[in-house]
Amino acid sequence: MAVEAIGRVPRRPGPIGRLGAGLLDVLQVLGEAASLFTAAVRASAFVPVDRQRVVVQMVRVGTDTLSIGALLSVFVGMVLVVQAADQLREVNESVLGPIVGLAMTKELGPVMMAFLLAGRAGSAMAAELGSMTVYDEINALRTMDIDPVRFLVMPRFVAATLALPLLILYSDFIGVWGGALVVAIDPAIKLTTNEYFARMLEWVHFSDVVIGLVKGLMFGMIASVVPCTFGLRTRGGTEGIATATTSAVVWSFILILVFDFLIVRGSFAVN
Amino acid sequence: MTSGSQQPKRRGVALDLRGVRRSYGGAEVLRGVDLSVNAGELLAIVGQSGTGKSVLLRQIIGLERPDAGRITVGGLELPRYLAIPPEEKPFRIAMVFQNAALLASLTVAENVGLRLREHRRHRPDEIEAIIHRVLADVELEGTEAKLPSELSGGMRKRVAIARALAVDPELILYDEPTADLDPILTQQIGELIGRIRTNRGSTQIIVTHNLPLARAIADRIAVLDQGRIVECSTPAELAASRQPLTREFLRAAALGV
Repeated sequence: MAVEAIGRVPRRPGPIGRLGAGLLDVLQVLGEAASLFTAAVRASAFVPVDRQRVVVQMVRVGTDTLSIGALLSVFVGMVLVVQAADQLREVNESVLGPIVGLAMTKELGPVMMAFLLAGRAGSAMAAELGSMTVYDEINALRTMDIDPVRFLVMPRFVAATLALPLLILYSDFIGVWGGALVVAIDPAIKLTTNEYFARMLEWVHFSDVVIGLVKGLMFGMIASVVPCTFGLRTRGGTEGIATATTSAVVWSFILILVFDFLIVRGSFAVN
Repeated sequence: MTSGSQQPKRRGVALDLRGVRRSYGGAEVLRGVDLSVNAGELLAIVGQSGTGKSVLLRQIIGLERPDAGRITVGGLELPRYLAIPPEEKPFRIAMVFQNAALLASLTVAENVGLRLREHRRHRPDEIEAIIHRVLADVELEGTEAKLPSELSGGMRKRVAIARALAVDPELILYDEPTADLDPILTQQIGELIGRIRTNRGSTQIIVTHNLPLARAIADRIAVLDQGRIVECSTPAELAASRQPLTREFLRAAALGV
């Protein structure tokens, strides 16, 4: 197109210029993501009308994450017990249940599933929307008076936001049972599965599960809005799609960790 | 759709551009475009690569806003037209993109009926009938269940035209509708666009490199050079033009380039 043909050759900036440009890029991405988030929230009013598209996206999120999520959770639960048992053997193995339960519900379940969602479903969102942007499909929607946010972003946003808390519950459950499996079969652990679960139920409160679910809601929004933002700002053919996909995953991971810290810090401040 | 022997309905809308300018990063691509298109007219815009033909279409369809100048469609200022809700628009504009821009995840029928379904102005059985009719118009009956990836380039272009026709638009914009097509497919697309003019009377604007096609089907041909319309005349007048770029185009076309 004419723009590429006539575009100026940029001068190479110095270190300060590059730093400034990088900072502006970061601010621009955050601004675009915030703007898309607002638009997606506003478009969520159409969920009753567009519920079929939301369901399709939830099924996609589920098929992308369920099996690998189960595998990840069971092994993390098992590794937690093995590691903790080794440290606690001489002290008190009865805290194995609380350790696995609290770690899974409050931290590992939410973060693991959010990373998985961002890495699998989020990268697919960025690639799909990126391809649609590059090949003028988004523009075609606009010329047809179809709002791309309502048509494409909102179903992914709602699906990820609703699906992630469910995936976290699923991950918590499987992770806890992974730990129980090691407790049951490892002869070095002198703890019964009944004691493992009993102590876990003493220590893990409903509020701990709720914190995990709140994180899930927040991370679900991030893991959908960030990839959609990068998808919609894709430029420059297949290379651009690859760059957008990678950037979407990296940015999602960073923002998930930042918001994880903020939520944890906030919850302690409230307590 | 009416038969080819009937008089065109001339239901198209007039388009007027005055002093349209558009820059990207300091580079001025459109440098004051003045252009009038009559209702029901078929206008071809030709020009070298990078002269702003596609950019001009993007201003007309409202994908981008010009930095300066005024665009009027059917007597309405373009921003005012764009602000009208889809279901209340007094007339419709459709665009056929260079690469067809069909949604890859939707079937042919879903692509063609997308705008109708989303705007919810028609019953599902009416939408089905429209899809069937416009696919017949572009001679693609039986492809309803296929995905765009299962179609040839020429078929994808025709589906894109069917998608445009589905809303019975008063103005249709084509961005290089015959790019990457062989001469036979190019002729077929040209004939199809000609039939749309005859049968529907929509105003049509075609951006193309293909001067023989433009001369064969257009009422007038506008030559865009370095962001300005340097000539706009009938194919017969164009053949006698003394405008240097037009002469270049005519020479290249005569050589079959």
